[in-house]
Amino acid sequence: MKRFDCLKSLAPLLDPKTIVVTNVGPICREWNALRPSDANLLQVNLGLCAAVGLGIAVSLPHRQVVMLDGDGNLLLNLASLADLANQSLHNVIHIVLDNESYEGGGGLKSATAGKADLAAIARGAGIVNASIVTSVEEFEAGARRALNNPGHYFIVAKVEKGSVDKLPTLTLDGKEGKYRFARYIESSEGVQILRPRYTHI
Amino acid sequence: MEAAAVDAVIDGLKRSGVDFVSLMPDSDFSVLQALVANDRHFTYVPVSNEAIGVGVCAGAWLSGKRPALLVPTSGLLVAAWPLTSLCMAWNLPLLLLIPYRGDIGDAFWLMGPYKDTTEPLLKVLNAPYSLISKNEEISKAIVDAQGSTISWQRPVAVLLTGETIK
Repeated sequence: MKRFDCLKSLAPLLDPKTIVVTNVGPICREWNALRPSDANLLQVNLGLCAAVGLGIAVSLPHRQVVMLDGDGNLLLNLASLADLANQSLHNVIHIVLDNESYEGGGGLKSATAGKADLAAIARGAGIVNASIVTSVEEFEAGARRALNNPGHYFIVAKVEKGSVDKLPTLTLDGKEGKYRFARYIESSEGVQILRPRYTHI
Repeated sequence: MEAAAVDAVIDGLKRSGVDFVSLMPDSDFSVLQALVANDRHFTYVPVSNEAIGVGVCAGAWLSGKRPALLVPTSGLLVAAWPLTSLCMAWNLPLLLLIPYRGDIGDAFWLMGPYKDTTEPLLKVLNAPYSLISKNEEISKAIVDAQGSTISWQRPVAVLLTGETIK
């Protein structure tokens, strides 16, 4: 199963207001090509995709939050799963595109190439709706079920290494991504996030 | 930490607009932590390590909350990676409230290394800080740090030492 095909099946299922947090590496470039949007927060570095998604999901409980995570990214801070579970959230779809490797860093094997089972770990952390899928059809069905029924879902998609040819270059860095996302939340939520002060102490 | 200091921290957090607190619930400042956890003014997200806490606060800020991370000097070392890869790389604000275990006067030998790490680490992380040793200075220091972190888009810390952590 190719990661790009999974993401391609997911993109048309999402409401335009669905917030998507992605890790850094090939996932964010593929997702940006499939669903360019300021509702995406792209390029969250190793170990932090789930943590940032947790902060967003707790703060905006009325918004659907999809995390597109990698096995390596999640493995660095596995405890994020326990912290997510303990918030009893109803707006989280945490998808791990598990290629059993650190593809963005050269492709060496991750712990899921060995004995680690991320879905079992998630269940142990308290996430009841944790599953593994191995075909695009299964992935799409699982994503559709999660999107249509509020809850906290954890889906491990076992994917091959490798991306697709001719992906557009991701031209924004974290600073620009921050501004775009924050401005989007400001306009869609009616809040002010960026608030420079001009007053003297 | 005495009641006057705890009250001043809570007052400062509220006056500065902080409405979201993350922390790892494992330090000897548990009275303050428990009060924050049970105060409905704050969205409270306990985490299993301070690196996760930085990520959680980043997500909260990007979602319109005004977060603070209560972090011990040991946890600041754990948080160094996301303070670099998120806060420095993305220019993200974060109010860090740090009870300064390991400052001069802290007699526990195991805290000694944090005198060597805490302030130098904040400097290399591009996170300015105030050193506060009097209870009456706590609240204003938090308000000022919050204003600066939001304006400057980088972490700003308040280091609590002296009588504030007795």
